[in-house]
Amino acid sequence: MLVDEHVLDLIPAYALGILDDADARRVSVHLDACASCRTELRAYSEVVDALPLAVTEFEPPGHLKESILRQARLSKAAEPAPQPGWWQMLKKSLSLNAPAWGMVGLALVLLLGASNLFLWQRLDRVEMSYQQMADQYLNTLRTVPLEGTEFTPDATGLLVISLDGEHGTLVVDRLPVLDETQQYQLWLTKDGERTSGGVFSVDEGGYGAKWIGSPEPLASYRSFGVTIEPAGGSPGPTGEKVLGGDL
Amino acid sequence: MDYQKADDETLLQLIAQAQENALGEMYNRYGRLVFSMALNAVGDPSTAEEITQDVYLRIWHKAETYRAEQGKVITWIASIARYRSIDVLRRQSVRPEGNRAPWAEEELELPDPLDIEDEVEASQRRHQIRSALNQLPEEQRQALALAYLQGYTHTEIAELLGEPLGTVKTRIRLAMQKLRQMLHAGTIPNGEI
Repeated sequence: MLVDEHVLDLIPAYALGILDDADARRVSVHLDACASCRTELRAYSEVVDALPLAVTEFEPPGHLKESILRQARLSKAAEPAPQPGWWQMLKKSLSLNAPAWGMVGLALVLLLGASNLFLWQRLDRVEMSYQQMADQYLNTLRTVPLEGTEFTPDATGLLVISLDGEHGTLVVDRLPVLDETQQYQLWLTKDGERTSGGVFSVDEGGYGAKWIGSPEPLASYRSFGVTIEPAGGSPGPTGEKVLGGDL
Repeated sequence: MDYQKADDETLLQLIAQAQENALGEMYNRYGRLVFSMALNAVGDPSTAEEITQDVYLRIWHKAETYRAEQGKVITWIASIARYRSIDVLRRQSVRPEGNRAPWAEEELELPDPLDIEDEVEASQRRHQIRSALNQLPEEQRQALALAYLQGYTHTEIAELLGEPLGTVKTRIRLAMQKLRQMLHAGTIPNGEI
């Protein structure tokens, strides 16, 4: 498929997110290089954004609001108290041993000066190679290998992220088969916050695959983990971690 | 603080500060929408209730991740509701009832001009999109509902409806093209706005 072949017929379905992986990849590659098709996509995305307003409306149960607020209250109350940061701990330590730290501080300043000189000399070379890597990186599908844990040493997984970084596909193998009350749940982590990437099950051989959509671009998350959770998933990880990896 | 007068983005900022009343007001505005999207997708009220609860807990914990440049608050919330509903539907591997009419038929009353700006705009857009959808042939509305609300692919929709794949692709493409044209032109049958 040449990049300069327009994909106009596929863009409405792409905006709806219902293309199969091969067509979605084809559209995604083309969009990266075609401004007019990106304009088309924006127009169809506006249609998709308006569709929720057209659904037949139903009155939610009267107790639902209070139930949501109660759960929100409980979940905040259950969050762990913030731990003191490294700076607070350092300040506390320094205040207890002030005289001895004076000499150590002077030595550190001299050491830092010397290392800065060395680092400046290397910076130009590093910047050039980084740019080359970045160019290559942006035109390649990103993958995140997931490794098993002590609990599942044989398990393995791979997360493939789309070219635009928006979504991806998770493939896992050799995971234990769970009973029907449990499922695996993918967690996406950024800035210490975990978001569910969805739940999935595996076949008798421990193999499973799942399309991953997320509230924010998938490539914006730094770490990925899979835990065992009650069927349907949990608001936060509660069970054994079985796979993990970093972008 | 009068939460009812706050715009959506301000409400989200207050939610990010763990202000429970702001979450309550956000539910007042969009709880019905989220519940309706979920119910239209999964077809079961108790599952739709769980999805709505999950969506609002996500809003509660993730409000600070919202970025205005990526779209309106209502779009962000609807997107969370849609993906969560599709996720649950695929997990259950159960096809919801086919008899439900997912797209609203009724015309809505125009908003009270004293309503806050977000609500006025949403009401106008709601009126526009419903009017546009009502002009589509039934088979296009049906295919679009299966694609949007339940996240089925072309192939899955063709299997569900017993129609050729090409026919389904054409229906969805034509539906989207017509909606785009009508929304862009601001075409309102019996134009009231």
